[in-house]
Amino acid sequence: MLKHALGRLGHLVLVLWAVTTLTFVMFRLMPGDPTLNFLSPSFSEETRAALLKSFGLDRPMWEQYLIYMANLLRGELGMSFLQGKSVVVLLGEALPNTVILTVVSLSCAYAFGVVAGAFLAFRRGGLVEALAIPSALATRAAPEFWLGMLLLTGFAFQAGWFPTGGALSPGKELGSFSTSLVSGDYWWHLALPALTLMLYLQGLPLLLMRATMLDVLNDEFIVMARMKGLSRWSIVIRHAARNALLPVVTAFALGLGASIGGNVVVETVFAWPGIGRLLVQAVQTADYPLAQGAFILIAAVLVLMNTVADLAYALLDPRVSFGAKR
Amino acid sequence: MMRWLLVAGFSITSLAHALAQPAGDAVRPLVLLTQPQAASPQDYQAAEMAADAWKALGLKVTVRPLPGQQFNQIVWYERQRWDTTTWQMVGRPERSDPDELTYNLFVSTNIANGYNLVGLNSPDYDRLAQAQREELDLPKRQALIRQTQDYINEQQPYGFMVHPKNLVAFNQKVWDESTMQVQAGIGIRNFWTWTNLKPKGAQKDVIVNSVAPPTNLSPFNIPGAQGSWATELVWDRLMRIGPDGLPRPWAAESVTRPTATTVEVVLRSGMMWHDGLPVTIEDAKFSLEAPGYGDKSPMYRPFVSNIAKVEITGPMKLLITLKRPDAAFLVSSLSKLNLAPMHIWAPIFEDLKNKPETAESIMEKLPIGSGPFKFVSVKLTEQIVLEANPEHWAKPNVSRWIMRIAPNIEASLGALKSGEINFLTDYTGDPELLTSLVKSNPDIKVADSLDIGFRFIAYNERRPPFNDVAFRRALSAVMDREAMAADAYGGAAVAANSWISPALSFWASPGIEKRVPGGNLEAAKKMLKDAGYVLINGELHYPPGVKETTPVFQ
Repeated sequence: MLKHALGRLGHLVLVLWAVTTLTFVMFRLMPGDPTLNFLSPSFSEETRAALLKSFGLDRPMWEQYLIYMANLLRGELGMSFLQGKSVVVLLGEALPNTVILTVVSLSCAYAFGVVAGAFLAFRRGGLVEALAIPSALATRAAPEFWLGMLLLTGFAFQAGWFPTGGALSPGKELGSFSTSLVSGDYWWHLALPALTLMLYLQGLPLLLMRATMLDVLNDEFIVMARMKGLSRWSIVIRHAARNALLPVVTAFALGLGASIGGNVVVETVFAWPGIGRLLVQAVQTADYPLAQGAFILIAAVLVLMNTVADLAYALLDPRVSFGAKR
Repeated sequence: MMRWLLVAGFSITSLAHALAQPAGDAVRPLVLLTQPQAASPQDYQAAEMAADAWKALGLKVTVRPLPGQQFNQIVWYERQRWDTTTWQMVGRPERSDPDELTYNLFVSTNIANGYNLVGLNSPDYDRLAQAQREELDLPKRQALIRQTQDYINEQQPYGFMVHPKNLVAFNQKVWDESTMQVQAGIGIRNFWTWTNLKPKGAQKDVIVNSVAPPTNLSPFNIPGAQGSWATELVWDRLMRIGPDGLPRPWAAESVTRPTATTVEVVLRSGMMWHDGLPVTIEDAKFSLEAPGYGDKSPMYRPFVSNIAKVEITGPMKLLITLKRPDAAFLVSSLSKLNLAPMHIWAPIFEDLKNKPETAESIMEKLPIGSGPFKFVSVKLTEQIVLEANPEHWAKPNVSRWIMRIAPNIEASLGALKSGEINFLTDYTGDPELLTSLVKSNPDIKVADSLDIGFRFIAYNERRPPFNDVAFRRALSAVMDREAMAADAYGGAAVAANSWISPALSFWASPGIEKRVPGGNLEAAKKMLKDAGYVLINGELHYPPGVKETTPVFQ
């Protein structure tokens, strides 16, 4: 187990190095000068040169790469070109918002998906299933921005029940993030983006749970439970659902990793100040340090959650082993 | 006699030879660069319309959209490479004086790497542009500025398209419209509105929107259009562009010009920085000199490049000596440079001496200015909160000025409707959507105004046939500007034929938009024919003897 965990860790480091190198090279291969994104092209050559120098972009690419990697090993991601602030600070400000949005929407999506999936498996063939499966597939297939705009139009523009964007009401300042967490205003602003993401994410656990449940319900131990005269709900909840949960748990861990970076669209539609929105702005303005930092963070979380899912699988299912035991 | 016969014979032979000479090469396929449809749908559609019109002249034209960064790179730094491109000059208060654009766009000294991206090389124009710059007599300067416009109308280095309109909407239930100020070429979204605006009821916070985040907010950084709305409220300037478009003293009590190359400034007394320290004459001198310190303030450095020296001549008095006469100095420099506190920025500049960073990258936690508003909090990707400065002589009537930053334009419309914002200041979406919102909500009012800026198609004179004035005039003649304004820009623009907007009525040449040479397809065809171009099988050829030697844009 320990050997496997160490192997996975080595794998993680390798993937992160590859992501770091790729993002570093990718941005510098983009045509055009990054200063053109925030400096009028009419400024003189001298002005541009001074800015490039201040960004360290006047050095050869290999030298920039070595400096960047050395800084990265010290935990420094550089300064944002546009905002003049440390990338670590900017990511640190945005990450909690993304984590909250992801955890809330993913938890709701999986809680709903698991219950609804189990229920639909149990009630297979009915009218409810005939309506529910296409609905789940439709929300899963619908583009996030479209779903977001639909909810915005209905609940914010028309009904006026929810705000149209941001994390707090205009002019409101709560200081630390922990203060935000106990603020009703923060949760009120979170509602629509979380609902959008939840609707988008619930399809996978629902269908997964339903499919696994259908398999499990045909297993011998379920037949045995029925023969023992256990109640239908006891069979579904205590026996079938528990056994069907394993792939859903794995999907949750992977979904958590993917959603940290996958909230880009929802965060942009709702002006939610998270990593995804920061990444979009950084890419649009060729803010290399910020974009690289955001990509590395997203990749790190994704790879980490893959590793966690991998390890969790072994812990949850004793039939899975890492060694060469026979 | 024999000699005359020989001459006549030679002339007839030459004429016959010329008549028999085949047409020149076919004009190569031309490429019209523009921004992608997603980034600028209006420019893209206008480019398509221009290309279609040019095709009617027998040209092969392709509209080629390029991503922003690459687009800027090619147009500004690879000037031999492109044929023609859409471009825009945005309206800024300091462009209320026509000097910046009149001089920079077309003078020959800017061909290599300045504003003159089309490469117009005309000693006559250079003389006119320099003369207006040095002319301090207003009526004489007005005449010179109008001459420059007539000259450019003849030359057509650009196919001018439109002057856009600014669309701003506000909640008239919250704000007293009569206290808003309309600034020439800017509209109601301006400094004077924010400082004069009066609330009608309990809501005293002005909440505006921005679709793009500003960059670093500092007195030595130009933080984009939206960021400038905040910085001009926080940092005072010696002069400001008034609602009439002319410079007026602001932090200065008076500004006089004793000679063509000197400017005398008397600083207003009793001014205080937001940290409670007094604004001194040393601060004012520092603010005019600091952008010129080495390469530490590259964005503001051009605005002080004509200053030879700044001397303190009294307790509240400065004498600025210029290197050359500059009619626009009060607008382009004194109305542009921020007053920065020396006690904060002098040590920063000292510290920067041996570092690669510039002053533009430095941002104080809560920047200090002396303006009518002061910073409360800044989150560049979320919101900027300013509060009224009660100590200021022009104390605002509102409590706070808040800028919400949200990239979703439709959500901003919804926010205006729901009251989350009460001023829609940054709207680049479909004008129809805004109109329908107003129809369904009588509290919302739209105020559109003609902008100082303009949109155009640049003809690169470095690449034939754009070096031929007849060819350029024909291209301009065949463009339907009214249709562009109505269709591509959704009616939120007016036809243009000059870089000076009709919003600046003192400087604009009256009716110039109607004086495009030619003016329709038949006239354009005749112009080309008269210049020797030939249409063969529907394809335009150069005049006889002219070879196509310029490579097609790749």
